[in-house]
Amino acid sequence: MAEPVILARGITKSYGRVRVLAGVDLEVRKGDRYVLFGPNGSGKTTLVKVLSTLMRPDSGTLELFGAPLGDDPRPARARIGVLSHEPYLYDELTAWENLDFYARLYGVKDRADLVKASLREFELLHRAHDRAGTLSQGMRQRLGLARALLHNPELVLLDEPYAGLDLGAQEMLSELVVRMSKGGRTVLCITHDMQKGFSIATRVGALAGGRVAIERGVEERVDFEHDYLALVKGAVP
Amino acid sequence: MLLKELRVEFRNKQTVNTFIILSILILAAFRFAFSVAEPPLEDVAGPILWVSIFFAGMLALSPTWKREVEQGTRDGLRVAPIAPSDVYLGKLLANLIVVFALEAVVVVVFLAFFPGTSPDWPALVAMLVLGTVGFVALGNLMSAIASNLAQSEVMLPVLLVPLMLFTVVISCVGGTARAFAGATVLEVGDELRFLAAFALVYIAAGYLSIEYVLEG
Repeated sequence: MAEPVILARGITKSYGRVRVLAGVDLEVRKGDRYVLFGPNGSGKTTLVKVLSTLMRPDSGTLELFGAPLGDDPRPARARIGVLSHEPYLYDELTAWENLDFYARLYGVKDRADLVKASLREFELLHRAHDRAGTLSQGMRQRLGLARALLHNPELVLLDEPYAGLDLGAQEMLSELVVRMSKGGRTVLCITHDMQKGFSIATRVGALAGGRVAIERGVEERVDFEHDYLALVKGAVP
Repeated sequence: MLLKELRVEFRNKQTVNTFIILSILILAAFRFAFSVAEPPLEDVAGPILWVSIFFAGMLALSPTWKREVEQGTRDGLRVAPIAPSDVYLGKLLANLIVVFALEAVVVVVFLAFFPGTSPDWPALVAMLVLGTVGFVALGNLMSAIASNLAQSEVMLPVLLVPLMLFTVVISCVGGTARAFAGATVLEVGDELRFLAAFALVYIAAGYLSIEYVLEG
């Protein structure tokens, strides 16, 4: 069995009096494509922020790449790629300059070649010298994905990655996720889209009540959907 | 980081436009106000120059961090494997380059509005450089703090002015007034040492605390 890339135990997080995560236990192993579903407000985005080291949990333990997350999260950050609701792009910089800037931050070698290859892969080479602020929503999302993968991360965290993408780009993303995991990368994806989620997943889970309430293999889709529906009906008054 | 900041700044032009327009308006207001009373110029030159720079600079520093929050790029910086202090230093250097360039324009406009002034130039330049370093170092940190708050444009002056008044402002205004009265670098040495100390303290404060500020 492959070693765990994410090992979270009893993670809690509150915003004031509102407890968003109430003891999340999660294990994602190397090469997994783990898709996490959950109703609105179930804490999915908060969990991604904790896993990406953007946010410290109130309690619980988090191990990334087999080591506890210590005081300096930078070594772990270098091995993680994050695509959240925001593509983290500077509107005033061109597509090329955005990728080149992030490549510098991650200490990527052969930047020019890599940026060019990345823009080509995401079909943005023809807009390389246009400012990010002038790109369409779908193009920005593709550029954000290119940014997240530029440093060849071992763990990719995707928060609603299909939002804003047209059908072609959605297909491209799904193929890319499958390809990445075959290359040894681990993917944790959060999405509302059950169809898309199952098309890329090797394992699925559902977050509700601040915990991972259901976990299944992808071959147990019928059971998962039945349990998830019951969970959502129970979770939403 | 520095290159990115300068690119964003000069393409956005928010800081440049704000600083130039506001400082010229402030200088023009003083020009008309003093055309009635006409106090000795060496007495008022320091306050006029620094009021223009501080108020225009405050508005100009405000977008530095707010823009990162609004565009969602602050988290992009935070998930990267770089030290937050490097981000602070990159922004500080970029702000200093921009503000120094804009101050040169303000001084030229000041001389056009108030002809006949003959400051000791080395002393005046030394006051401008050290005063600006302290002001921008503190302003950068306060801009980062204000970007976490609602109505950050209002909160920046609320946070910045009280801290600046009894440190940078007093030394800058006093030393600059003396430079306009002909005092040399050696003669404004006390003010310069005071400003250098505050600049170092503010840079150290920003460098050490920015990690916690960015966590919001």
